[in-house]
Amino acid sequence: MAEQQAYTVASDSETTGEEKTSSAYPEIAIGIDIGTSQCSVAVWNGSQVELLRNTRNRKLMRSYVTFKDEAPAGGVSDELAHEYDMLSGAAIFNMKRLIGRVDTDPVVHASKSLPFLVQTLDIGVRPFIAALVNNMWRSTTPEEVLAIFLVELRAMAEVKLKRPVRNVVLTIPVSFSRFQLTRIERACAMAGLHVLRLMSEPTAVALLYAQQQQQSAHENMGSGSEKIALIFNMGAGYSDVAITATAGGVSQIKALAGSTVGGEDLLQNLMHHLLPNMDDLFSSHGIEQIKRMGLLRVATQDAIHKLSSDISVPIDVDLGNGTKISKVLKRTEFEEVNKEIFEKCEALIKRCLQAAKLEAEDVHDVIIVGGCSYIPKVRKIVTSICKREELYSGMNPLEAAVRGAALEGAVASGISDPFGNLDLLTIQATPLSIGIQADGSNFVPIIHQNTTTPVRKEQIFTTVHDNQAEALIIVYEGDEKTEEENHLLGYFKITGIPPAPKGVPEINVCMDIDASNVLRVFAGVMVRGTQYPPTPFMEVRMPTVDDGHGWSTQALHKTYGSTLDLVTVQKKTQH
Amino acid sequence: MISTSSHPFHQSPLPPPANTFSSGENSMLAPSCVRFRKSGSFSVAATSCASVASRAPVSVSPASFYEILGIPIGATIEEIKAAYRGLARVFHPDVAAIDQKDLYADEFMKIHAAYCTLSDPDKRADYDRHLFPRRRSINLYSGHTCRNWETDQCW
Repeated sequence: MAEQQAYTVASDSETTGEEKTSSAYPEIAIGIDIGTSQCSVAVWNGSQVELLRNTRNRKLMRSYVTFKDEAPAGGVSDELAHEYDMLSGAAIFNMKRLIGRVDTDPVVHASKSLPFLVQTLDIGVRPFIAALVNNMWRSTTPEEVLAIFLVELRAMAEVKLKRPVRNVVLTIPVSFSRFQLTRIERACAMAGLHVLRLMSEPTAVALLYAQQQQQSAHENMGSGSEKIALIFNMGAGYSDVAITATAGGVSQIKALAGSTVGGEDLLQNLMHHLLPNMDDLFSSHGIEQIKRMGLLRVATQDAIHKLSSDISVPIDVDLGNGTKISKVLKRTEFEEVNKEIFEKCEALIKRCLQAAKLEAEDVHDVIIVGGCSYIPKVRKIVTSICKREELYSGMNPLEAAVRGAALEGAVASGISDPFGNLDLLTIQATPLSIGIQADGSNFVPIIHQNTTTPVRKEQIFTTVHDNQAEALIIVYEGDEKTEEENHLLGYFKITGIPPAPKGVPEINVCMDIDASNVLRVFAGVMVRGTQYPPTPFMEVRMPTVDDGHGWSTQALHKTYGSTLDLVTVQKKTQH
Repeated sequence: MISTSSHPFHQSPLPPPANTFSSGENSMLAPSCVRFRKSGSFSVAATSCASVASRAPVSVSPASFYEILGIPIGATIEEIKAAYRGLARVFHPDVAAIDQKDLYADEFMKIHAAYCTLSDPDKRADYDRHLFPRRRSINLYSGHTCRNWETDQCW
């Protein structure tokens, strides 16, 4: 139990790669779903997946951490008298929306209206985040908040399971960049947890679906009775879509699509609708203002929940200082206010279907999960795009992801089940394209989005100047055409390119995603007719960036301009 | 281990697993076939691979995509998918022991490349055209496993 010590900082590298536990029988990794708003833990109990309950007998816990004089306390153990206490300035929440983002990110800017301090300098560094403790803004980081929360979750799981817990499978949004994944791993390491796997939320749901299909059709094991499912997951912070082809317990991810739209956007849009000058009123983050912001937030949230069952809802809230909101809000009004958000959801689902090269008619089951799945408009969008009346009803929308993560935890821990309930496999796909900057400031993907992993792809580039001796490899992840719209993962230089006219040297860039989802970039110069490259190849594990993304690309452009640029060599046809 | 002069960029000169696994272009069938035979649970793959191996000497004839998936040349799309899933069950790195992940990853990538081509009607037709009229060996084979052959958006 030596490693049970809660709050230890370990290096990033310690959290990746596989490890063997030393105990006699394998430790079953637990599944954790850290939602923007709620969080849950589940584990394979030997015969099925079980959600763990906290001391208040809750399976779903609010994701927040309150900072106080003494030790901070999170939503796992903390007892709140009322929702308002979470909105007093002392509690940090929505950390999943803030983690691994720089202060130029629109998602960070949208978080400035939260009832704690999110300060941006808009230069591409990490935002300043602080909680109100004794009328002082005490700084923290999303990683630290998440780590504190994970420590509580871990302690709760250890009490329930009566054993130390180290290995975890965590669910993450599809749109998370690899840099954001390293921040999640860092938070886990701080909490003394080892990440066995990070799994996108709809992929975890797909695994649960695969298990359910296998249970209901055991005789078709390994045969061609393939079922296609579309999974739409909309939580408070993110929306994800996955399309999976399932047969015989194998879930093959055909396409993924993710975006940062979520319930938080619905909430904020409605808050702005109810109080148009909200941003001005709350901009200075005084104690009274934070209180008012909290009142508005709670009232708006309640209204949205009620609108899931009612056609209209009365809103009566006194924000003090003469500001009162008193009106009847119709469901249609809520939908109109959030028209753009719903359109984005629609586009996301369509994009995923297109990427999977499927028509709505090809989909056997449509699954909708996440906190926003109760919103009638969201259900309507999904059913109309997928052209059907009924949605898949075999899952609890709030528990599906964590159950899938727990299944993956058991499978990845090498546990087998005599009844074949863990006879499962997920064939994963890359959620985002990975490539380099070339052909001017274009993003040239080398591994495309939705490629099955593990994978290795290469591409040949060449110089843009005569006698260019060096080349800069800047690695990005994303699906936008220009580099600056994508996530920067890292950069390095290739040196020793033999003198030659532009367009002659061949620079080989190879990207490899291995079985543990580790990305390595290999690059070097090849000279025709020789067996060995003139200088050793580079092998760089990505991401290499730490904070300050915005600075680094600008600095690179300023320092080198186009002097170290590359262009793609047209793909050769087969020999 | 870096590319030969005749095909400078066919084989990635890079990651160690590739080098440790395939010392030459035509050695790929041998280890995979041995493993097919060992795995009793997938008899389709085991038998057809074994029969192919007994017909053609392994050391000279490289594996076609059909041989990699262990399916007959006229296999239906359902058979291709089933064979792919069956092989994924055996060769996906997730089911490998910790010290064999890289080896399995290489093997799975080959299986996936075969599946990618054969499960797409256009790519399969194109592949079949190259495979049948002139069943030459090494050059043709290496052309087909060249990464350029795959489109990027396949799964």
